[in-house]
Formats: sequence, C-alpha cells, structure tokens
Amino acid sequence: MIHFSRRLALKSALVCALAGTFFNTAVAADADTVLRVSAIPDEAPTELQRKFAPLGKYLENQLGMKVAFVPVSDYAAVVEALASDKLDLAWLGGFTFVQANIRTKGTAIPLVQREEDARFTSKFITADPNIKTLADTKGKVFAFGSPSSTSGHLMPRYFLLQDGIDADSDFKKVAFSGAHDATVAFVASGKADAGVLNASVWAKLIDQKKVDAKVRVIATTPPYFDYNWTVRGDLDPLLIKKIEAAFLKLDASNPEHAEILGLQRATKFIPTKKENYAGIEQAAKAAGLLK
Amino acid sequence: MKHPRDPAAPGRAAALLLAIVILWPLGVIGEFHPWTLFEAQNLRVMGGFLAAFLPPAVGGEFLAHLGRATLETLAIATAGIALAFVLAVPLAMATTQALSVSRIGPGPGRRRGEWLRAALRVVLVVLRGLPELVWALLFVRVFGLGPAAGVLALGLTYGGMLAKVYAEILESGDSRPARALLEAGASRLQALCYGLLPGAAQELTSYTVYRWECAVRASVVMGFVGAGGLGQLMDQSMRMLNGSEAASILLTFLVLVLAADALSGLLRRQLGETDGRAGALAFGRRSSLWLLLLGSALLASYLWLDLGLAALLSAAALASMAAYFGAFFPLDLSPDWLASVAWGALETVAISALGTLLAAAAGLLLALPASGRYGQAFEQLTRFLLNALRSVPELVWATLMALAAGLGPFAGILALALHTSGVLGRLFAEALQNAPPRPRDALLEAGTPSASAFLYGTLPEVSPQLIAYSLYRWEMNIRMAAILGFVGAGGLGQLLYVKLSLFQYPQASTVIAAMLLLSVAVDAGSAWLRRWLASPGG
Repeated sequence: MIHFSRRLALKSALVCALAGTFFNTAVAADADTVLRVSAIPDEAPTELQRKFAPLGKYLENQLGMKVAFVPVSDYAAVVEALASDKLDLAWLGGFTFVQANIRTKGTAIPLVQREEDARFTSKFITADPNIKTLADTKGKVFAFGSPSSTSGHLMPRYFLLQDGIDADSDFKKVAFSGAHDATVAFVASGKADAGVLNASVWAKLIDQKKVDAKVRVIATTPPYFDYNWTVRGDLDPLLIKKIEAAFLKLDASNPEHAEILGLQRATKFIPTKKENYAGIEQAAKAAGLLK
Repeated sequence: MKHPRDPAAPGRAAALLLAIVILWPLGVIGEFHPWTLFEAQNLRVMGGFLAAFLPPAVGGEFLAHLGRATLETLAIATAGIALAFVLAVPLAMATTQALSVSRIGPGPGRRRGEWLRAALRVVLVVLRGLPELVWALLFVRVFGLGPAAGVLALGLTYGGMLAKVYAEILESGDSRPARALLEAGASRLQALCYGLLPGAAQELTSYTVYRWECAVRASVVMGFVGAGGLGQLMDQSMRMLNGSEAASILLTFLVLVLAADALSGLLRRQLGETDGRAGALAFGRRSSLWLLLLGSALLASYLWLDLGLAALLSAAALASMAAYFGAFFPLDLSPDWLASVAWGALETVAISALGTLLAAAAGLLLALPASGRYGQAFEQLTRFLLNALRSVPELVWATLMALAAGLGPFAGILALALHTSGVLGRLFAEALQNAPPRPRDALLEAGTPSASAFLYGTLPEVSPQLIAYSLYRWEMNIRMAAILGFVGAGGLGQLLYVKLSLFQYPQASTVIAAMLLLSVAVDAGSAWLRRWLASPGG
C-alpha cells in the first residue's frame, strides 16, 4: 500500500512536471507572430479551408508573417472568438458582422468586401410544381440555412415579412438545414417544400451541375450588403493597413491573383465600412433576431 | 384448432389499449411519419447519397485528416477522463457517507458538514445533469474552437458522474474499517487509503476504465459543435453530402469503438485476475507496466492536443468567461418563451419514448438470431449488425436520418431507435441465452409450436429483465434526445442551438434550465420506478 501511493505520487509528479513544461512553451510561441484567420462555415468547412489555402499563402508573403486558418463548424463561435481576441481576421456574413460589432462593443473593423457583396441577393427555391409564388409557400415546410446566416436566414426572413409572410406563424414548419448546400438537398428530396439560399452558392451548384432538375427558383430578394473581411479592433494599425492593401491589390489580370479571386468567387475586393451594415442591423431588429 | 382461452387475455388487451392511448399523442408530437421514408422522391435522393458511400474515400490527404482526427478523438477522451478523475476524487471523498465524520457522532462541525455535503451533491447534479455536448457548445464559445472545449466538457460531466459513482461504490462496501480509523483519529485521506480502497479499488478502476470507453464515444460526438476530432470531420463531410468520406469516417467509428470496447474488456479482465491473489491491491510488475502505459498515454494526449491550459486560466480569460456566463442571467421566464420551452421538452420526451420503444421491438427481433436460435452463421451476422448499430453514436445517426426523414423530431426518433436497438439487442440476446430452458422445453415436449413455446415459455422468464433494460435506456435516451436537436432533430436541443446562434443568452439559459430539470426529474422518476418494479407488489 505504501509502495503503491509513493510510486504513484512520484510518477504523477513527474508527469505533471513534464506536461507543465510543454504547456508553457506551446503558449509562448503563439500570439504575435501568427495571424489567426477563420471564416463562418456557410459552406462545408473543408471546402472553406481548400479555398483559403492560396489566399493564406498570398497573405503570408504580403504581410511577412505566418497565417493560420482555424476551421470551425459554428457561426457564433467565430463571433465569440473574434470578440475574445482568439482570432485576428475573419470572413463574416452581414448579420454575423452586426453581431460581432455588438459583441466587440463597436471595435471590430470591417476592411474589405467582394465587389459582389455590395449587391448580394438570395434565391427562394422549390421542387413542388404547385408552388409558383412566395405566397404559395404559406402553410408549407420551409428550410432556412443556418440561424446565423444573413443570406440563408435573416434577409430572406425580413423580405418575406415585407411581403406579408411571417416565418414564425405562416409556415407549417421552419427547418434550419445548417448550410446552403444542405438546403438544396432538403428541397430536392422533398424534405422541405421550399427553401432559400445565397445566390452565389446557388450559381456555384448550378455550374457544378449538382442541382436536381426539379428544383427551380421562384423569387429573388432585393440586393443588400453581405460578407466582409473583419479584423479585431486592437490589432496593430500598421498590420491592419497591410492586410487591407493586400486584399485591394488583388487583380484578376494577374494569373496568380486570378486563382485566389476565382476561389473566393470575387471579381475584386473593394473597401467597406460599418455604415454599409446599418440596413442589416435594422432588418435584424425588424425580423426579431436582434433585440 | 381449438385452444383453451388465454386466461391473461383481457389484461393484455387492456394494456395494449392503454399503450396505444398513451403512444398516439406522442406519435403526433414526434411527427412519427414512417411512410415519408418510402416516398419515391426521397428514395431517389437517399439512394444517390448512399450509392456515393461506395467506395469509401481513401485519398492520401483525406486519410491523413482522418488519422489526425482519430488520434485527436482518443486524446480528448483520455485527457478528459484524467481531468474528470482529478475532479471526482476530492468530490467523492467529500460527499461519500462512508468518510463522513459528522455521522459518527455529534461534533462541533456536524451541521456545517451536512450542509457542505448537500451543496456539493447539488454541484454534482448540475455537472452530470447537463449533457457533455451542451458543456462543449458553451465552452467552444468561451475557450475558442478546438479540443480544449471538448476536454473540459468531458472533464466536468464525467467528473460529476465519476464522483457520484465513486461515492456510491465506497458506500456499498464494508465501511467498518474506515469508520474505525476515523474514530481512532485518522484523517479522511488515511481512512480512504487504508480503510476503503483495499476493498473497493478493483471496482473503482473497472468503472473508470468503462467510463473511458464511453468517453471515446462522447468525444467523437463533441466534434459536431466544433470541439475537434472525428465528429468535426463527420459534420463537414455530411454538410457537403460527401458520401464516400462519410463512409470512411463511419468505418473508423466502428473500428475505434470496437477497439475501445475490446481494450476496456481486456483491462477489466486483468483486474479480475489480480483480485484472486492474496493482496487486496497487488502492485506487481504488471500493474507498474499498466501505470507506465497510462502515464505515457496521458502525456501523449496532452502534448498532442496542445491545450494551452495556462492561457485559459489567465486573469483576462477568467474575466471574459465571467462576462460570458453573466450574460445568461437572468433567465427569460416570459410566458411565451416558457410555452415554447415546455413544447420542446414534450417533444424531447416523445422522441425518447418512441425511439426507445422502437429500439426495444427491433432489439428483441435481432436478439432472437443473436442468441443463437437459428444457428452459428446467423448469430455471428446479427452480432456484427448489433455492434455496427451501436458503434455509431446517436448524433451521427441523427445527421444521417435528418437527410432520410427530414429535419425534425422524426429524425431524432429514428436515430435513437437505430443506436439503441444495437445496445438493447446485445443485452436482450444475453438475457435470452441465460433464460432457464425448462419451461420452454416442457412446452416443446408437450407439442407446442416453437413460436408459442417462446412466447409462453421463454418470454415471461426474461421480460422483467428486458423491461428493466429498456427503462434504463429510456432514461439515457431522454438526455440524448435533448441534444439531438443540435443537428436539426427537434426538441430542446434545437431551441438551444438556435438561441445560442442568435446570442439570445437569457432564452438559451431557460432551455438549459429545462434540460437540467428534465434530467433531475428522470433521475428521480427512474429511481422510483425501479423501486416500484422491485417491490413485491409491483
């Protein structure tokens, strides 16, 4: 018995000491030398990672520092991570930016957006031959993307409301598919009578011929501001300038840049500002998603 | 063919009628529409997805991902159990009646000791009352993405569970040596080491190893909320509807769970053997070897995960944590929201009840061949099927079923039914094998057809056991049903997930409180039911 406890104590002390040393070194190595980047998972996160690889390399060259991509499977986690300084740069949707702006008490800075994001739209889709207009979706099962999504939830919900359809009371059931690709799968299989997704992902799926022939678009939303690249407010201002410049410098006529822009589905990046997202904040309040 | 009337018929008919009356509304709440599964459109989409399962993905890059995720899952489980152990030991020591000084006689600290013990018991209830997935979802937000959240979530829930079971094991043994030591002035630690451990060590270790096995399954699942490991990979592949990747990941689950099963079985058998020798807690070469292995596994886990626990405990981190949890109070108790939460809770109960019932029926059907009634080949085949069903966690089934049955409670029912029929089928098969053969043999000799001989000769012998197993799983499934909503399968989980996504924390904390209440109610209810079933009148 005595042997047992003594040996155990010795061993555990050894293990603890060893483990302790490793922790400390691991922590010290991080922080200043690495730019931590993430993106809201509105598409499959592995896809995001693949899309990010050439952009990450480009940023490493331009900024002269290591760039690490942190994959996530939860929108809100990106916002919390940005607010608690666990991320430096993040690709946010319009609504997630509004949430991040509130969670960081207005310190988060939206830097750049794709030219396409200044006039973004969502597509309402169905596979049901009897649904011809938005009004026909009343009393049906309707699929949004993620609850935190701008183009897959907030803006469509807002525009539905303006058309006199309250998503909370007028649908038989509301389902959250979690991602734009998944929404199409649910509508195609008849799991949802109708659904809505972002126009850019819809275009991609059509290009890749991944959409069942029966699925068709019944309506498109008016344009609104969506995605942007946001940095946390207390990042070194010099570094912020460099990041912004690196994005703005991307030029489709340069073949190396063209690959990056192609993967981001952008023609080019343009500067953006907080005021662009005031409309989204109002929509979120009107739709009851923000209090 | 004339048979004498079954004397038990009226009672059985009444029970059947009662069951239908209770189950009908549950079916409505749970949106139990099995026919939708077989609609042509649905079969086509599912068929396309399942066809993509073959061949499983074996690309180099993907396999590297898979290998890393598997190691991460194992490391999260191991590190999580280690943390749970560290938490559980002092909590068990403080709460167990076997080490209670105040019970020995009235002393100055008696009242205080009782209060402390009661308060700690409440802490334990909260720790294990919330599923680890809920903890993980909360921690992912505070501690950032990655395995640290998973390790802490496992550590807390399993810490609560281990502490409770440790305390019970210590109480169930002979407490006289410890009491004698305490009366002679020994400290609690001394009384534990010399009075209680020699008798209880084997059972304690065995339970801890069993929990590690459970932790492997749990850590697979926690990836779904972003806490790293295989679950995260599965979530990603499912969202892309990438069947071949999903197939590879499912196969990895199967291998991992069966291996953990086998290793845990081996370890526990080893413990059983050492018991036979003279020393109560023999500490020979073999135990040293195990301990060394355990130590290196722990060290490797921590190194692999690169947790950076020190950074989590800095003042700034603690402050942001406090602010985060502060936002959850006060709870939203407006009547509208309470009504939604109550409906969610009802949906959760309906999902669990129907899922368990389906599982019990399917489990019984599978248990017949699995118990060897139809020969060796069938036995092996069904046993493999049962293992496969049970090795895929409920949440993973739920993501698959959400595709087959649509988002909503029905997917949850199917998910629970699939996993649980694997578990119950195995238990049922064992019960059937151990059933006394005489009544059945007597009936067979009297010329009864074999189906009737089973119904009237075997089933009555084992049915109390089957019912007890099913009730126990139902209890676990209520907790599980509460979280299936994270992947869109209805119930409380869906409410929680949506509210957390929208940062509406006061509403989220009402849902968490409801989950906790449900869990406590289930605990109390099942304890009562077990007593009632065990009592002679029941």
